[in-house]
Amino acid sequence: MEAEVTLNNRVILSIVDLVVDFGQTKAVDGVSLEVNQGEIFGLLGPNGAGKTTLLSAIEGLVKPASGRVVVAGLDGAKDRTKINAILGVALQSTSFQAELSISQLVRLYGGLYNIEMNSGAIRSSLESAGLSEESNKRFKQLSGGQQQRLSLLIANIADPLLLLLDEPTAGLDPQSRRKLWGVIEQNRRDGGSILLTTHSMEEAQSVCDRVAIIDHGKIITVDSPKNLIEKHSSDPRVLKVARGQVTLEDVFIGLTGGEIRD
Amino acid sequence: MTSNLERDVQPRTPTPPFRAIKSLFIADFLVLTKSTRALLAAVMSPIYVLVISRSSKAQTRLGGSPFLLTLSVTLGLLSLSLVSYTMVVARDRERGVFQRLRITPTPTWTIMASRILMQVVVGEVLTLIVLIVSSQLLHVTLSFIDYPKTMLITLLEALVFLSLAQSLVGLVKSATTISALGSFLYAALLLTGLLGVSGVLGTTFQSFAKWTPVGAIMAVFQAALSQSPWNGHTTLALLACFGYVIVFGFIGVRYFRWEAR
Repeated sequence: MEAEVTLNNRVILSIVDLVVDFGQTKAVDGVSLEVNQGEIFGLLGPNGAGKTTLLSAIEGLVKPASGRVVVAGLDGAKDRTKINAILGVALQSTSFQAELSISQLVRLYGGLYNIEMNSGAIRSSLESAGLSEESNKRFKQLSGGQQQRLSLLIANIADPLLLLLDEPTAGLDPQSRRKLWGVIEQNRRDGGSILLTTHSMEEAQSVCDRVAIIDHGKIITVDSPKNLIEKHSSDPRVLKVARGQVTLEDVFIGLTGGEIRD
Repeated sequence: MTSNLERDVQPRTPTPPFRAIKSLFIADFLVLTKSTRALLAAVMSPIYVLVISRSSKAQTRLGGSPFLLTLSVTLGLLSLSLVSYTMVVARDRERGVFQRLRITPTPTWTIMASRILMQVVVGEVLTLIVLIVSSQLLHVTLSFIDYPKTMLITLLEALVFLSLAQSLVGLVKSATTISALGSFLYAALLLTGLLGVSGVLGTTFQSFAKWTPVGAIMAVFQAALSQSPWNGHTTLALLACFGYVIVFGFIGVRYFRWEAR
């Protein structure tokens, strides 16, 4: 039976009691959350908390041990290629074919999303991403900011309903980071939804409508950055690490612990 | 912050397999044209065999011109599969290229189908080059019907070696180990097929060697080129080739992992 794309109460992504394990280790442990249409949702967590694994499960790259992923009413276990048609993804270690120029990459991914892209369309999409001068360069020849812009361009190539971004601004200078935030916000203004992972509290506060703090594969808390600060400002764990007025970073460190993770 | 919540949420259709294969095939072709070293090695080694054996004395000693033609094609296809194909797949897996492709709305099998198709096409072109060069250097004259027959056997030979290569990348994850094992298998299979079948290593080894992938496919190839009569052994060798494709292909698909971790 043909699956229909339907939005219940405008929930674009619904994750229900999701468990992903690698042998004895539970990388994602009973996570449930919802992302609404038009929302920018941030996943905050220390290294190894399960952020990337959770995204991989939504993308269909890892198979959950139990639980459900539903994207726009489509079941992740049954309608994977249909879900992929409405998802845009920028992976953490984005890796495109090193031998191809970026215009060839845009043409390839256009084709894989069933979009006919002639030279004019490729040129204009590269122009919109500020990459027209680099069209004949290979991915590895681009700067970090240019690589991220290309990743985002390709993730957006089919006008996705839900954009998944894994640490999109990691390693970028402030100018490139601000520019990328602009692209993310534009995507939301166009009606898209974004789920991103980040280590940057500044990013979470600047662009995310809601954030979830995840640690040891479990969601600890979910709310808007402002509400999270208010909600946890009297938590002794948070007060112990706060230096003056409580910030989102204090809440994050207070709830996840101060020890360094690898 | 405002957003267009009334955005149309229409069902999107996954990309049809043919369309996906077309896009992937073009990309794989472009990658291949930029992998000149691997391509040159696959093309030059059979040409080299033909060049060094172009004297009639050498041809007689090495088993005749149809044998040399078969050997040259086998050398090229073995190099394409066990060295070039395995290295590209292992490298792309380590870089995460497959993971990036898998999150597009295309059936996953199209990713490998396009690559295998590309190798088969290159194998066919390589065989054509070998046929043309051998007609000039070895004065091999093939009848009109020998060309499609040779192309068909090349297809089978390419599938045997590619399924073997696929089982290698299915069973081994590390690109470095795959590179080492691919080169070892290339040399081992070639020497077993050549020296074993010729009988210089003894009859026991000869009986074993003629059932190896190289031994079996060379028997079929030579019979197809009418150098040796088609007999019971050739039929069994043909069946062995199909068996290799099925068994190695099954292992290669069953144990293949898209990610390097």
